[in-house]
Order: sequence, then C-alpha cells, then structure tokens
Amino acid sequence: MKLTQIRSRLATCLAASVCMLFATHSGAEDWSKIEAAAKQEGKLLVYSTTSRTAKAAKAFSKSTGIAVEVVRLKEQELITRSYQEAQSGVHKVDMVVGEDWPAARELLNNTGYFVNYIPPTAKKLFAKKHQNPLVLGYINRVFGYNTEKHPNGDPLKSVWDLTTDEYKGRVMIRDVAITGEHQNALTEWVRRSSDLEAAYKKRFGKSLEMTEANAGLEFIKRLLQNDAIIMTSDTKIAAAVGAKGQEKPPYGMFYVYSKHRDIKKKDLALSDSRQIDPTLGYMYPIVLQLSANAPNPNAAKMFMEYLGTIEGFAPWAKSPGVYTPNPNQIPFDGDMPLAWWEERMWLYDLDYAAANRGNVLDVWLKYAQR
Amino acid sequence: MSLTLNRWRFYVTPERVLSVCFIVLLAYLVVVPLFMMVKETFIVHPLERFQIPGSKVNDFTLAHWYRFFISESAYTFFYRPLVNTLIISFGLSFLALLIGGAMAWLVVRTDMPLKETISNWAVVPYILPSWTLALAWISLFKNDRIGGEKGIVSALTGFEPPDWFAYGLFPITITLALHYFPFAFLLIGGALRNIDAQLEESASLVGAGRLAIIRRITIPLIVPSIMAAFLLSFARGLGTFGTPAFLGGPVREFVLSTSLYGNLIGQRPGLGYLAALVMIVIGMLVLYMDHRMVGARKSFVTVAGKGARLGLIELGRWRWALAGFILFFLFSVIVVPLVALAIDTVMLIPGVYSWENLTLHYWIGEASYSIGLGTGEAGILKNPQILSALKNTFSLAFVVAVVTCLMGILVGYAIVKRRGTFISKCLDQISFLPYLIPSIALGATLLAMFAVPRGPIPSLHGSFLLLVIVCSISALPYAVKAGISAMRQIGGELEEAALMAGAGWWTRMRKIIVPIQKSTYFAGMLLPFISVTRELSLVILLVTPTTQLATTISLLFTDRGWYPYTNGIVFILTVVVVGCTVLSRRVMGTSLAKGLGG
Repeated sequence: MKLTQIRSRLATCLAASVCMLFATHSGAEDWSKIEAAAKQEGKLLVYSTTSRTAKAAKAFSKSTGIAVEVVRLKEQELITRSYQEAQSGVHKVDMVVGEDWPAARELLNNTGYFVNYIPPTAKKLFAKKHQNPLVLGYINRVFGYNTEKHPNGDPLKSVWDLTTDEYKGRVMIRDVAITGEHQNALTEWVRRSSDLEAAYKKRFGKSLEMTEANAGLEFIKRLLQNDAIIMTSDTKIAAAVGAKGQEKPPYGMFYVYSKHRDIKKKDLALSDSRQIDPTLGYMYPIVLQLSANAPNPNAAKMFMEYLGTIEGFAPWAKSPGVYTPNPNQIPFDGDMPLAWWEERMWLYDLDYAAANRGNVLDVWLKYAQR
Repeated sequence: MSLTLNRWRFYVTPERVLSVCFIVLLAYLVVVPLFMMVKETFIVHPLERFQIPGSKVNDFTLAHWYRFFISESAYTFFYRPLVNTLIISFGLSFLALLIGGAMAWLVVRTDMPLKETISNWAVVPYILPSWTLALAWISLFKNDRIGGEKGIVSALTGFEPPDWFAYGLFPITITLALHYFPFAFLLIGGALRNIDAQLEESASLVGAGRLAIIRRITIPLIVPSIMAAFLLSFARGLGTFGTPAFLGGPVREFVLSTSLYGNLIGQRPGLGYLAALVMIVIGMLVLYMDHRMVGARKSFVTVAGKGARLGLIELGRWRWALAGFILFFLFSVIVVPLVALAIDTVMLIPGVYSWENLTLHYWIGEASYSIGLGTGEAGILKNPQILSALKNTFSLAFVVAVVTCLMGILVGYAIVKRRGTFISKCLDQISFLPYLIPSIALGATLLAMFAVPRGPIPSLHGSFLLLVIVCSISALPYAVKAGISAMRQIGGELEEAALMAGAGWWTRMRKIIVPIQKSTYFAGMLLPFISVTRELSLVILLVTPTTQLATTISLLFTDRGWYPYTNGIVFILTVVVVGCTVLSRRVMGTSLAKGLGG
C-alpha cells in the first residue's frame, strides 16, 4: 500500500516536472494565452461516458479555479445528443469524453461538429497513434475463468476452445446487439480472419471448415451454436464466472477487465486468460473531442491537457483496466502497462470497423435468435 | 342577427372547441415526431451507407424496408421477434387483467376486510422498477446455466428449475404481468365503484346467480375500463426492453424491442425505427379493436341520474381467507423485492450477507475512497447531487401529474361527448400514440423540435419546462384513458339537467363531472406521477446538470456496479410515491378511499 502511494507520488512529480519542462521550452506562449483566456470563460460543460470524469473535474476545478459540469451519458446517448444539439444549432457543450469512436467519428467528427485537439502533454508524450483521435485511455476486455475449477491455471488455449463441446452452454458474453464496442471488436476478427484460421489449425491440427464467408463470422456462428449465454451486464458476468463453490462455472468472454478490482471485496475465484490465442480480448479507446462551437474552448483545452497528465488521470489509475497513453503512468498494482496489453490484444481498425460492423451485427442477430 | 349568434352558439360547444384545440396541440407534439420517425426509415444514415452499396448519407432508400420485411435477414429482424413479442404481450395483458380485475372486484364489491391496506399496496408493484421483479425471479429460480451463486430454490431444495421456467418467455410474461396488473386494478376498480347497484339488484331479483351477474352485467359494464387496462399493459409489453433482455438473453429469446435497441446502438436507425413503427402499428390495431368492441355498443352509461348505493357482496367465511391470500400475494411481489433492495443498501460489500458487513455508509457516510466500494461518493442522504436530483424528480412528477390529469379530463370529455364522430376518433388515436412511440425515439425527436426557437416558441433546451412537456406527452395516454372511461360511464342526463338549470360548462365540469369521477381521474393522475419518477430513456437526452433526475443520476452508480446507491434511490422513490398515494387519498376525502376500497 505504502509503496504504491510513494510510487504514484513519484509519478506525479515526474509528470509535473515534465510538463513544466515542456511549458518553458516550446509553444509556451500559445499555451499561456490559452490559460489566460480560459480564466475569462464560463463554466465548462462536458458530456462523458465515464463517471470518473466528474472526479477529475473536481480536482481540476480545485487547482485551476475553472468550474466544470459533467453530464454522464451512455455511449449512444452521448453521440445522439451531441449530434442532435449540434445539428439544431444548440452550442452548449464544450467537449465530450466518449466511446464507440467508429460511430462517434461518423456523426460528430466527420460532420465537423467536433474537432480533435492535441494538448501539449499529449503532443509531447503520447505516441502518434494515440493523438488523433486524442485518447484519454484504453479499456480492455478479457476472457475469464473460475480459478477454483481450474486450480492449475488457465484452461483456455485458443478462442476456438469456446466453440467445442466442452464449453457448450458455458460461455457468457454481453449481448453484442446492445454493445457497440463488441460489434467493433468483432469486425477485427473478420479483418484478421487468416490469423483466426491459423489459430484454429494450430489448436486442432486441421484446417477450419467454413459455411460463413470468413473465419471471423464463422466464429460468431459457432459460438452461438455452441449455446452461448447472452447477458446484459459485465458485472454479472464477472460475478457468475468467479463465484466460489460452483461445479460447472461459466466462462466469461469480452467482459471489462476492470471488474477484477472487485475480486478481493467480493471474494471471487476469478482470473483472466493470459495465453488464449490469438488475442487476449480487445481494447478500445475513450476519446476526447472538442466542440467546434464550444462556448468555452480554452477552458476545454485546459481540461483536455489536464486529463493527459498523471494527476488528471488519477481517478482512472486507482483500479485496473484503464490505461492512459501517457508513458509515465505507473500501472496499477498487479496490472500491466498499456504497451504489454497492446502487444497481446487486438485493437480494431477504425475504418474497417465502421464499414463492417453492420455485417457483424447481422450475423450475430441471425444466429443469436434460436 | 340574434339568429346567427344562436346558430354560432349551437356550433361552438365546449367539446368542439376542446377537440379542435387538442387536435392541433397533439398534432404538433405527437404527429410531427412520428412523421420524423417514418422519414428516418427512408434515408441512409452515416453507418448504414456501408451496407447499402453505392449510397451516400441522406440519400432516399427503400433498403431498410426491404431488409426488415423481405430479405433473408427479415426472419431475425422481424418475424421471429414479432412472434415472441405477441406471445408476451397477450400473455401478460390477460394475466394482468385477471389479477388486477379480481382484486379490484374483491376490494370494491365485497365485504373483504383490510381493503384500504390492500388497495394502498396494490399499486406498489408498478412503482417498483420492473427489473426488481426480474431480478427477484432470477435470484429465486436461476439454475446452474448462468452460474454464480445458487438460486434460492435450488439452494434450499436441491432441485434445479428447468431452463424454460427460469429464463425466457415464461418468466418474462409472469414478471411483467406482476408489474403491470395495477393498471387493471386502478382502472377497473374505478369503474366498478360507479356501477349503478340497481342493475345488479334487479338481476338478482329475477333470480340470476352471482356468477351470472358478474358475467352478464358487471363485466359488460366495465368493458371500457377492461379494454383500457388491456391496451395499457399490452402496449407496455410491446415496448419493454429491460426485462426481456435480462430474462430472455440466457436462453436467447428476443423481442422486437431488442431489434429496436440493437439497431439503434448499432447506429442503424433506419432498421431500428422500423421495429418501432411495427410496435406502433400493432398498438394501433389493438386500439382499433377497442373501438370496435366498445364503440359498437355506443353507450355504457352506469352513472345515471338516480344512482343507488352499492350493496356489498358477502363473502362469508371466505372473507378472511381471500384477504389473507391477497396480502400474501402482495407481500411476495412487493415486500420481498423491496426488502431485497433495502438489504443491498446496507451491505458494505454487495452480495456478502453477514452481520459484520452491515453498514449505513451508503446512506449517511462521508465520501471515501477506502470504505466499502470506495466510491468517493457521500451517502445518499448527505449527497447534494442525489438530493437535488430527487427534488427535481418529485417536482417534475407532480407538475406532470397535474397537467396530464387536467388534459385527461378535458380530452376525455371532448372524445366522449363527440363519440362516433371522426374528430373524436382522431383525438382518441392521437392521444394514445405517445404511449406506443418508444421513449428513446420520442426523446430524440422532441429534443430536435424544441432545441431551437420555432415560430413563437423559444428554445427550451435545458429547461425544466421541456422536461414537463415531454413527460406530459408520454404520460398523457394514462390520463386520457382514465378520462375516457370515466366519461363513458356518466349519463348525458346529468349534464342536461344542469344545463336546464342554467349551469355553464365550467360549473358542470366542476360540480358534476369531476366530483363523480374523482377516483378514476385520480388513478389517471397517479400513473403519470409514478411513471415520471421512473422515466429514464425519455429524459436522458434532455437533462442538464441543473435538471438532473433521480434516474439519470443513478446511471452513475449502476454502471460501476455501485448498487447500494441505485437501490437506495429506488427505495426512496418507492417509499415517497407510496406515501403520496396514501396521503392524497386521505386528503381528498373518503369518497376516493371508497372508490378504490377501504
């Protein structure tokens, strides 16, 4: 506990000094102008899909004196509301903290209603791929199993295991029909069909025989035909998989890894698969966008800058499962850094996801219906 | 000169003026959103363009219609979910009518004891969010299919309930019926009270048995309210999303609302709104059925000039047994879920039921990152955000209840007075439409309509008034249905007599119509009040930080699994609504209490 505290303090100091270093060297003039202008602006209005934004906002207000209101919305509601408002010419929101970027990009960014902005810290420290769109952090979703049932460790070798008799009626997944990010993630399985086919061959020593157009869709079909259990909540999936004293516990597919923060509190026998081939699950970004007609653009820029710092990210760093692109962040105790997950998990391709999620949803609906 | 004036007077009756005013108002608030929805089914939306070869955003297209009704995907989008939806809707409405009707009859027409308690509690299942029953069902009957902790039945008896019993259409129908039977109880109860006892007494005098009287006299007389209750629960069955998704998912039985939400979330509004339109059309068909059945008999006057007081049917030795049975039933559908909710608010770590885990932290604790779930949120009663949201919710619910009640009385009056005319039918259909439009779609279109100034109407974006408007529209059908069934029972001679005595329209309404039908109107006011306290998808696009409601703020907690807060908020809502119900009955006088028993 103490060690973690010291570490996180150290990280904060480090980040702060990096920021200062940056501020004194390049673009200092611009930024100080923004800061000065921000002080003259009104209350910042933020729509956010993550409730922790409100906490970051509180700390931000404390240190800068800039007031922030955060309205919490679900992914689709955030997109619909921001889109409708912009379309009707109501310009009240300054920035959004959103998910499901393939959809948000179509409706918010491509329409010109929202724009990407790269604040100093992100420009300096984030890898290029995390700058446009500007990423607040990545969320990862994993495969999980019950450790009481499998005391010798991870039973899952390949994702194709989930389509075998042994797992019939035992795989739980949040309904893809109501989970935009699942739809995006599965387009990557379509895009990397050859990897999936190879994984099948590696696991079973024979080639995959398909009735669907590619291995990604074939997987969806086989998973559902293997009597997958469709749930409505990741919390319930994690609890069901990890509950102790079960003879035939279910296995979780694609639930958010952050549920593992409750393992101790809820006394769960839950672990995630670290060897399942070819991907440990998937990751998706929480994206920051600035309204093109923001009433308080400078305050918004300052808040975006703040969220990219170690201090600003603190509310998300308190538990596993959310990863800032800021390389100075020390991972949560027991969790891995972003780079580790990036190597082992598929991150979907934005263009491909936008173009193909409709097909994925069609195939899902087709086989989900019994 | 005076002749023209007289003729003018003859034409400009209050009911005509009212009909025209309401038609115009509702056309703007209801038909325009509907039209916008229909339009959406013919255009290409951003993400849809990838699935419609060669199309650009905003192009005109028939592809959605083709895909939804004809293509090879039509079975999954439409036909299969349609069958499931109809099974659920019919099943739940019949069951709800049976439960609610029987209870209303026992409370109003017999000498069963404990009436007041029963009628106060009978509306609670509707106050509780429908997912509490679904959740209770799962905790009771779940088998090892969905893993986790054992279900209570299986833990106690070792018997694993079969899948069809634990999940899918069967429990969806049952839990929804248990949730919606208060519609039938309130509406049928109100109607039963107003039946002229002479009718039944004369039947009894000529030798009709008790069952024959119920079947031949009582039921036909209350057909309008039965149909109204049927419609209300049926339409809810069409549109409900949460319970079917939660209970149907494990055995993969889906309904039309899944198709709607799935396609909306998948950013395919064209297909999503088609699913919504199908629900609306089915609802309109049922409404049409109602017209055919009720309209064919023209008149159902039960409150005539000379009414006799009701004689209560004596149940003899069955009276206590029946009261006990009903109380037990209410106990299991109310107290059990409610206590389960309450318990979850005092457990430091959710799901760990031990004495050491008992806490009031989530009620009165200070914000903390280390205690319990470490939410960093102050307890419910100390949390300014939650308290202000609760205040907003109740103010909104109250205002909407009053507004819709007044509208319900007036619209009901206009519809019934002009019964049979085209305008009356129009008004009836239009005023019921909002109930059939999925709230997420209604919210989105109303946001678009009121976000910017249009003509004389200023921009209402972010205002409390906008919330009042949208909630009133969506709750109007309850009030109008109550208003119609109330008016249908009132004989024309009452008003005619008053008219002869020189009473103006205002006096007639105030002194005759409203007092006679107080209890039915009250039912029509209570339902909007309750439904507003629970409204989420309708308002989520419209609330701002200052107009946060209890439901929108509890989103913060639900998604992170902080159920103690969500459950605590639901608990408060329930207690306050029940309190209001009981209190207002007392305040409004005994006639009302009699109307719904006690």
